[in-house]
Amino acid sequence: MQPLDWFIVVISLAYVVWDGIRRSKNTHELEGYFLANRNLPWWAVGLSVMATQLSAVTMIGTTGQGATDGMRFIQFYFGLPLAMVILGVTLVPFLHKARVFTAYEFLERRFDAKTRSLTSFLFLISRGMSAGTIIAAPGVVFSAIFGWDMVWSVVLMGVPTILYTVVGGVQAVTWADVKQMGIIVLSLVAVVVVLLVKLPVPAGEALEIAGAAGRMRVFDFSWDFTKTYTFWSGMLGGTFLMLSYFGTDQSQVQRYLTAKSVDDARSSLLMSAYWKIPLQALVLLLGVLVFVFYLFQAPPLLYNPAQEARVRAAEPAAFAALDTRYRTAVAARESSARAVAKNPASGREAGRSAFRDREADVQAVRTEALALAERVTGQPSRDVNYIIPRFVLDHLPLGLAGLFLAGVLAAAMSSIAAELNSLSTATVIDFYRRWVRPEASDAHFLKVSKLATAAWGIFACIVAIYAATLGSLIEVVNRFGSFFYGSILGVFLLAMIPRTKSLGAFVGLLAGMATVAAVSFGAPSVSFLWHNVIGVVTVLVVGSVLSLGGAARTARSQP
Amino acid sequence: MSDANSETGPSRFRVTLFRVMLIQLLALLALWLLQTRYAG
Repeated sequence: MQPLDWFIVVISLAYVVWDGIRRSKNTHELEGYFLANRNLPWWAVGLSVMATQLSAVTMIGTTGQGATDGMRFIQFYFGLPLAMVILGVTLVPFLHKARVFTAYEFLERRFDAKTRSLTSFLFLISRGMSAGTIIAAPGVVFSAIFGWDMVWSVVLMGVPTILYTVVGGVQAVTWADVKQMGIIVLSLVAVVVVLLVKLPVPAGEALEIAGAAGRMRVFDFSWDFTKTYTFWSGMLGGTFLMLSYFGTDQSQVQRYLTAKSVDDARSSLLMSAYWKIPLQALVLLLGVLVFVFYLFQAPPLLYNPAQEARVRAAEPAAFAALDTRYRTAVAARESSARAVAKNPASGREAGRSAFRDREADVQAVRTEALALAERVTGQPSRDVNYIIPRFVLDHLPLGLAGLFLAGVLAAAMSSIAAELNSLSTATVIDFYRRWVRPEASDAHFLKVSKLATAAWGIFACIVAIYAATLGSLIEVVNRFGSFFYGSILGVFLLAMIPRTKSLGAFVGLLAGMATVAAVSFGAPSVSFLWHNVIGVVTVLVVGSVLSLGGAARTARSQP
Repeated sequence: MSDANSETGPSRFRVTLFRVMLIQLLALLALWLLQTRYAG
């Protein structure tokens, strides 16, 4: 990273924060602070929805996954367009016309206060912890790459985000998201263009080589419930997951509650329906091209520089031996890759098969190196998250490394800001105003909202700093979160069925969570994407049966 | 646009659904062609 790169990072961050705050109006009223007076244009809301979903993990982890695993992760998003259309005709009009601040507020109007409080509480637990992990994931990578203390990595992302979210509320978050989305797309496109220019083979040949290594395999039509990413888990499980996320998670619902009308809210969601799959294809393609790039350019044995230095110091002989074997295997793989690129039609299969064998040799040495790294450091390696940052720093021309880092920071900040904003809204509207001080003034709630935003921001930063120590706790919370995601969607769907009762909703929610927990522990191999389907179906069945039973009893007891 | 426009929901919905699904199908077709051409 040269001074120009750092200049680009600082300027882009400062501009996003300043412009976000500058555009915030009427933030002295609660509705202006949390919902922008329901007056934002659909395209700004649509970009905000996309920026919220796209986190730094997408920029670092998903691109790395593209390099190691290819394009098949894209199946995860196959259900998204359908989910957006379904939400456009079901939940979006209900929530928008109800003039609510939070999605859970709607549940009290339809059912009762305890269903609202439970769903909002579940949201606060899971999103509170996930805000911390969203900061921690890129923070760990920055620390390893730049040698910073974890505290500074967290401060770099956390402090500006807390600042503009506290000062400008949802308007600052949305207008910052618009710019952040621009920086993210620009940085991704720039890196892909540079890769295409730097590759020693034309794009077609690069894809031919990637295809030979299995990186261009997109579809898996098998009905295997233990596989996470298949066409069916994406189309069915993915649809329910996206319905839950965009329809019932306050961090997303709050985005489209700021739209001017129901139609604007629908249009903002449809932007994701149109653009999410192409954008995700670009993200994964970037990773695939980095894989091809490292076939012709000596790749490091370990991509995490901090881990590499520790292993080299602790086990110099073992590391040197592995490195020598690695270099030999990489050289053999390069020649077979060139043979695949030439692609004589007669020997296509033989060439691809030889290349796959050489690739397996390289991966075998890498696996040994990763095991050694885990032994030395005592931590899982997660080397995949360092592939793209290492490529960016070692090979991108002046200015572009800064642009990509700005893109990663923009992705992190946009997700964190939406989470802090929605956590504060749920805390103040669903708990403080509902149970503690219902009679207080708007000015009082506004002050408490700003304090709540700052408090959640500080909490997220503390979780991020101690993420390594809290590792197992965070895993537990994430697993717990997967128990209720589909179940909460089930309650919202139940709310749209006439004559369903509050008892059915509450017991159905508990039954849904218990069923998913039982499946999760009883059959851990079942992919998490199916948990949402199980949760939704359980809540709908239990909730409907209890409501019908209640209705029958009521009818019988009437004279 | 006002909320009143959304009263024409069903026909607008069919058009939107058709458009989104058409684009989804085109995206899947493009990915399928990419896989067929390069993944072998």
